[in-house]
Amino acid sequence: MINEWLLQFGQWMEAQQYSQMLVAGYYSYSWLEATHVLSLMMCIGSLFIIDFRMLGLIMPNVPATTIAARLHKPMLIGFGIMFFTGALLVYAKPVETIQSLWFRIKMILLVLAFINAWIFNARMKAADGTWDMDPVAPKPLRVGAIISLVLWCGVVTMGRYIPYDWVDCTNTDNATILWAAGCVEQLRAL
Amino acid sequence: MLNSLLSRYTRTLSLVLVLLLVIVLELFEVRTSIYGVSLPFFEWMRQSFWLGVIGTTYGSLYATIEAVHLLSMAVIGGTVLAADLRLLGIIFRDIPSETLTQGTHKCFRISLTVSVATGIFCAAGVADKVYYMEVFWIKMLVLISGSCFVFFFKQPLLNSRPHDEINPWTLRLLAVTSLLIWFTVAATGRWIGFS
Repeated sequence: MINEWLLQFGQWMEAQQYSQMLVAGYYSYSWLEATHVLSLMMCIGSLFIIDFRMLGLIMPNVPATTIAARLHKPMLIGFGIMFFTGALLVYAKPVETIQSLWFRIKMILLVLAFINAWIFNARMKAADGTWDMDPVAPKPLRVGAIISLVLWCGVVTMGRYIPYDWVDCTNTDNATILWAAGCVEQLRAL
Repeated sequence: MLNSLLSRYTRTLSLVLVLLLVIVLELFEVRTSIYGVSLPFFEWMRQSFWLGVIGTTYGSLYATIEAVHLLSMAVIGGTVLAADLRLLGIIFRDIPSETLTQGTHKCFRISLTVSVATGIFCAAGVADKVYYMEVFWIKMLVLISGSCFVFFFKQPLLNSRPHDEINPWTLRLLAVTSLLIWFTVAATGRWIGFS
């Protein structure tokens, strides 16, 4: 049901004039992708510095909450651009992206990373800064940092897998993969 | 007089000499001759089992190494942003810039090493293509110049004395140059994929 709805939504987007223009333009899609990757460096780079500090791997002599607070803005700016360009990339090739297994896993990891960030922030505020000058953060924050690193590594890896066609709808007849990737027509044909 | 001038501006003079050397090499078309000579090396990389053959045979491994390359570039981005924006006085103004630049440098070195190692693997898989790409050579030139800039110029200067004894404009110039270099490395890297 949801796969049919997503496919219809993708087909509707693909029929839009601007979606076709993004793909047809000689440089537009490449520029979008390049901006997406560069903003990823800004966002994930800042995030990783915060996580590394929580684990005591970097700048143990600088208060951890100061690093988190000061890098928050560059991280959010990077995330904003990354999200906007990412949305446009999906808009440019909607059906292909929506029916990509890697894209779907990436979105799930992204949601999990958000939940983790929300819990991490709540824990950091609750910890009240008494540990701020400790070389490593308290265990719950360290666990949050490790989860964040793993999830974002997963997000980037899945993003990198999207252009590859190993499990594209036309390349597999595995029913589970076809269902997970939302390959509606191929599933019907089985 | 000349001695005191030379000792005071050793690094600046070294940089000018390097730039002059690049111009001379370019004028006498040395780069073009190196370009031709390096083709067998690229062919060897492409045919080498541990580099080119593994990279092209196992697509998922190649894509995973590409992701590691991207992640290490992201860490480089994070360290460069933190240190250079501090030198520009945009963020971390309440933390001494010495602490920031020294604290992030180790992480930068490790990420650069990972990035170069994974980059060689990625380039080997498509060595017969990247050899003919102008953007690839631009990236290599900027990467080498950037690494020399960081290890022989920026870091030695920043570690040589307290930052408040360095001309603020020199610090700003260092930060802007560094940001431009690593932005160009990342952007040209992405552009290789489109060429």
